[in-house]
Amino acid sequence: MNANPYLPVKVKVLEVGKQTENVATLKIESQGLNPAPGQFVEVSIPKVGECPVSISDFGSDFLELTVRKVGRVTGALNALRAGDSLFVRGPYGNGFPLENFDRRHVVMVLGGIGLAPVKGIINRYYLNGGVNRLDLLVGFRTPQEIIFRAELARWREKFNVVVAVEQDDPGWPGRVGLVSDLVKEISVEREAAAVVVGPPLMIKAAAEELSGRGVAKENIWVSLERRMSCGIGKCGHCRINDRYVCLDGPVFNYRQAEGLVD
Amino acid sequence: MGYLFSADAFNSLLAELKTRYKIFAPKIYRGKGRTAGTDLVAYGEAGELAEIAFDRKTAFSPKEIIFPVNQTMFYFTKEEFQENLPPKEDKDMIIFLRACDINGIERMDAILLQNGPYRDVYYEKLRGKARFFLIACDQSWESCFCVSTGSNRTENYSVYVREENGQVFCLVKDRDFEEIFSKYGRPADVEPRFIEENKIRVRLPEEIDQRVFGHKLWEEYAARCSACGRCTVCCPTCTCFTIQDIFYRDNPDCGERRRVWASCLIDGFTDMAAGVSFRAGYGERLRFRAMHKAADFKKRFGLFMCVGCGRCDDACPEYISFSKCLNRLSEIMGEVGQR
Amino acid sequence: MSLNTKAIAKNAYFISKHRGRVTARVRVPGGHLEARHLEIIKEIAERCGNGTVHLTARQAFAIPGIPAEKIPEVRKLLAPYIREAEVGMGVNLPDPEGGFPVPLPPNVLACIGSRDCVFGNIDTAELAQKIERTFYPGSTLLKIGVAGCANDCAKVHMQDVGIIGMVEPLYDPARCIGCEACVKNCRRAASGALRAENYKVARDDLRCLGCGECVLKCPTGAWSRGAKYYRLVIGGRTGRKHPRAARTFLEWAGEEAVIQVIANILAYIEKHRDKTLPKEHLGYIIDRTGYGVFKQEVLAGVNLGPRAKVAKYINFGGYAYDKGVQLT
Repeated sequence: MNANPYLPVKVKVLEVGKQTENVATLKIESQGLNPAPGQFVEVSIPKVGECPVSISDFGSDFLELTVRKVGRVTGALNALRAGDSLFVRGPYGNGFPLENFDRRHVVMVLGGIGLAPVKGIINRYYLNGGVNRLDLLVGFRTPQEIIFRAELARWREKFNVVVAVEQDDPGWPGRVGLVSDLVKEISVEREAAAVVVGPPLMIKAAAEELSGRGVAKENIWVSLERRMSCGIGKCGHCRINDRYVCLDGPVFNYRQAEGLVD
Repeated sequence: MGYLFSADAFNSLLAELKTRYKIFAPKIYRGKGRTAGTDLVAYGEAGELAEIAFDRKTAFSPKEIIFPVNQTMFYFTKEEFQENLPPKEDKDMIIFLRACDINGIERMDAILLQNGPYRDVYYEKLRGKARFFLIACDQSWESCFCVSTGSNRTENYSVYVREENGQVFCLVKDRDFEEIFSKYGRPADVEPRFIEENKIRVRLPEEIDQRVFGHKLWEEYAARCSACGRCTVCCPTCTCFTIQDIFYRDNPDCGERRRVWASCLIDGFTDMAAGVSFRAGYGERLRFRAMHKAADFKKRFGLFMCVGCGRCDDACPEYISFSKCLNRLSEIMGEVGQR
Repeated sequence: MSLNTKAIAKNAYFISKHRGRVTARVRVPGGHLEARHLEIIKEIAERCGNGTVHLTARQAFAIPGIPAEKIPEVRKLLAPYIREAEVGMGVNLPDPEGGFPVPLPPNVLACIGSRDCVFGNIDTAELAQKIERTFYPGSTLLKIGVAGCANDCAKVHMQDVGIIGMVEPLYDPARCIGCEACVKNCRRAASGALRAENYKVARDDLRCLGCGECVLKCPTGAWSRGAKYYRLVIGGRTGRKHPRAARTFLEWAGEEAVIQVIANILAYIEKHRDKTLPKEHLGYIIDRTGYGVFKQEVLAGVNLGPRAKVAKYINFGGYAYDKGVQLT
């Protein structure tokens, strides 16, 4: 490959959806980028910077990115409007091995923005089926930080959806507590598979809980978040032991991920 | 073919080579040491025999020649990306360097050219211009342990060069150089010599596993290390970098995207959204670096990463010795292995 | 007992509180001496003194408990030291066998400087010896100290003239990795002259002390040593009347300028000092003439060099034990 792998393509923002005060969903042109669920792209705004963003959904002619405002680049991405352009390269990394979820009971434990990388998958199961049963356990810090509210409401029609917040709030009718604790309350079927996405401590707690409930570690898939700079295995920021999250992940089987120690 | 040069003849050779190549070699920079009145030995462009410090070890490795500390990847005008690849028409480069450093560049190749499906084009272009002139080591310095890491030898060079009392013995392996060397040198029998023994011997850990992660060794290092990053900056095998965008202060419409060396020892290397970061403790950072050099890289690429140049020992302001650390890792693995 | 105390004092002996006993003072120029010279000190202390040696705050040896009649013997023992340590480095003392001639100005004191210290920007002992070589022996009181860096371990802020070594830090952005080790350290441990800008470092020339800490902290050599310079602080003093710390007079001055300024200061003191007093510190004289006169006379004919900065005015602080010092 002789082309410059760092050279991004320019894409137009088709639509902007405000999820919360600090989270926006950008629907952008796909420009031939052909991702798999769970992969990420490097998104940039020239003179501001570049950062990795997971793909929250995609179609034949669009990608959807869900971005939380945490720094300069994500701040600038949150300020974009329909018609603006930005630059992307990718998609990179290994996504979720969907074949392992076919006709199974799937438990998803998702923390905050961790809902983004699997939103498209859930939608597909909602529209087309494919899994026997889906338990969606989603946690946020506060009710104000809940994203994909409309989708969560819709998914309830077909799946068991439990949303919990860590900090109680007057007027919040739902659950309060850690999302990993919700795992204790569901029944787990034989040969169940699980997906866990969220911050490092949450991943560990939820995966261990799932494993304790009888989900084989080989059937748990986690998506790790790291500070990737290059996205293509060169810059070293996302290395854990002999693995590069950008190349070998971000989705790892938990049997392997549990052995990765920072 | 082997050749012998007088100093004058070698200078004539360098002068002609210089018309076609940029020549880089270890040089002494007077008064440029960190502390007052000391010298810095580092890589720079050289044109004469007397400029080349054959008998000194450089503080920084030659990696900076093919992997610059700062490299502009793109220029921005408004929103357009303009690639800034090293121009094809630039001269090729001759680098005078030692066996350990050539081995080091092979490790850089593994990451920057082989890891994953893409090649780092910026590195590839400069790397492709480099010709190695292997400097014979006639002494092993205090901190060297290249024999233990097996990087005392190399076959990956164009010309082998040994300076002796103002004369220069060369063995040309790369045919491209045969004609010009035969023009200035007298034929001579030259056998490459390599260092066969260092003052420091390191027992490489055969297999390191995570049982060493909780060892108190790292607590000791945590108390000593100041996370300055010098060990990674001078290392001939460290290649981590960060990509940064800037705009020009007096012309905010224009700017550039560049990549800059980064270090797993320095704050901020793993900083993520919402204040999450990994390896906050300095002991954990040293462990991360040590495990990479001694085990993780080898698992992935089949090569022991550290090349035993000992520069990190020389550079550490807290006198943390990596050769000592490797020996201790071997001991610890022996202990936990028996348990 | 009959003793000519004035004559004895003029030979660098203190008249001690113990009747008939004197204390020999042996100067150590620049505070650095050959270890073998300690043998001489030891011998004098053991043969003529009470077997002890005191280290003075001015980096001299005081050898106490010497009976006055042993002064000739001390002179004899001391002669090789004066010959080697003073005459040997160029101080014009024509009669080493005669002991130290007084008035001999106080020792130029110095920290260990760049001979050994990581922070030292200059070879302090060498400069101290150069000053002594140039101006000694002389009769004018001028206490001078040399510090290798702005840390001022030598406490030159308590001297009439303090010389502080500076280095111009040179910055190569192409070698900078933006780790900000220099920025953080300058803010915490120096003067906050550095700030991060566009992942690189910008230096405020007005705030920079020339301490060289950024060069020491930089992992890549992006900061390196430029030329050596000197800062001169003036008017510091201890004493009974009005102790105070010296203030900056010159910054970024070259070595030759420092020597020329000291020569001018000596002339200024002789011109303006209160001749009714046996001696008077520089600061009191500046208080009387005003800084303007001092500055004009001391900088006359001096080539300060292109980088040098001169204090526009000086607001000496300090405090007086007797308010009358300021009011009369």
